[in-house]
Amino acid sequence: MATEEKKKELLEKLRNAVIQYDEDTAKEAANEALSTGMEANDAIFNGLVSGMVEVGRMFEAQEYFVPELLMCADALYAGLDILKPHVKQLDLGVKGSVVIGTVEGDVHDIGKNIVKMMFDVAGFTVYDLGRDVPLDKFVAEQLRTDSDLVCLSAMMTTTMTGMKKVIDDLRTKNPNVKIMIGGAPVSQDVADKYGADGYAKDATNALKDAINMVASLKKMKDEVEAKKAK
Amino acid sequence: MKTSLKRELLDHGATVVGIAGLNGYLSGEISHLDRAVSIGVDRRLNEETLALLMKLQKRVVRFLKARGHKALAIPPDSDRRKDTFISKLYSLFNHKMAATSAGLGWIGKNGLLISPSHGPRLSLVTVLTDARLRPDEPIEHCLCGQCVLCIDHCPSRAITGATWSRSAPFVELVRLAECRSHKTTKRQTTGKPNCGLCINVCPYGRTKGYQDQVP
Repeated sequence: MATEEKKKELLEKLRNAVIQYDEDTAKEAANEALSTGMEANDAIFNGLVSGMVEVGRMFEAQEYFVPELLMCADALYAGLDILKPHVKQLDLGVKGSVVIGTVEGDVHDIGKNIVKMMFDVAGFTVYDLGRDVPLDKFVAEQLRTDSDLVCLSAMMTTTMTGMKKVIDDLRTKNPNVKIMIGGAPVSQDVADKYGADGYAKDATNALKDAINMVASLKKMKDEVEAKKAK
Repeated sequence: MKTSLKRELLDHGATVVGIAGLNGYLSGEISHLDRAVSIGVDRRLNEETLALLMKLQKRVVRFLKARGHKALAIPPDSDRRKDTFISKLYSLFNHKMAATSAGLGWIGKNGLLISPSHGPRLSLVTVLTDARLRPDEPIEHCLCGQCVLCIDHCPSRAITGATWSRSAPFVELVRLAECRSHKTTKRQTTGKPNCGLCINVCPYGRTKGYQDQVP
């Protein structure tokens, strides 16, 4: 079993590999983590993801630009590919599926891609519709895949209004689905006004909220089924 | 810093190394990385060329990062993973443009980078960086002169005979459809797509025959 000190050192190594966009080190550290018996979950969330959170901050502060961001994401996936098979599904408490996309008229998908990555990391099944997605498609895809969660992204105030339509449509067709929105012009006020279940300031918050939402949804389903069984 | 970087690369198997200043030549996404380390490796080193290029590239990245600079490695054209996030940006960049800007050579009539010492026989990789390396003098014009050996030897008559100039707008040097269809035919008849006559006959950097024809 890994000592606390060794564990801390490895987490730091995973984190820095992502920040320094160093795929080789990410792989090396991931293998080391496994061979010292560290929990894969721990390595992913407190190592790789913690690094990506810092990268997100650097991107916002304009210390990093698009190429660095993409290389960091590649480093994260390099480590993730090694660690993921060892993740104990139960550890996350909840598994879910999510439909995600940037709404019609909007081609900005970097934020959406990072949120998508967080869901990937957490073991969600992700249906990525991409960017500039026709509004009807969100509803159709949610019904087709019976996803627990729909995530909408918009980068512009002009396209943001499309979210309201999607939310209304989803509510009519499937009142139980959870909806989360994000993007530069979006705020908690907007989320409340549009009737979304959640608003995420950034990718890590998106993931936390999503896990909570899916958990409450699953609980609801279980209760319904328990009643049926009686 | 520039000298020690060059020294290190040449010591580890690079044939030629140049620094390009690309301010104003890059598209927005990568424009903050406006210096390019352009590395050429003699292709006669055959199968090991690719491994060597990758090794040199990693060396540059380590060198620059250790000194607190950003580095974006663009892999050789022949070996690109398509499944990474960063691979979406590779198409924004051209190794030959960096090589001419770094003074490693010019674009010959056959559309390939021609180095004065090694002709069209270099394989290229580039590392983009924000480190303030002093750029080398670019090569501005085609130095092929009156030589038309590649045009005469081209089995598919794909070479137009136009000449390249760094500042001039794009001109078609090679009719790619013709060149490609010839390679397809070759593959069907001989099992290999290789043609490469325009490389073989180029007098620049050639070790036997034709050298006396260097213009």
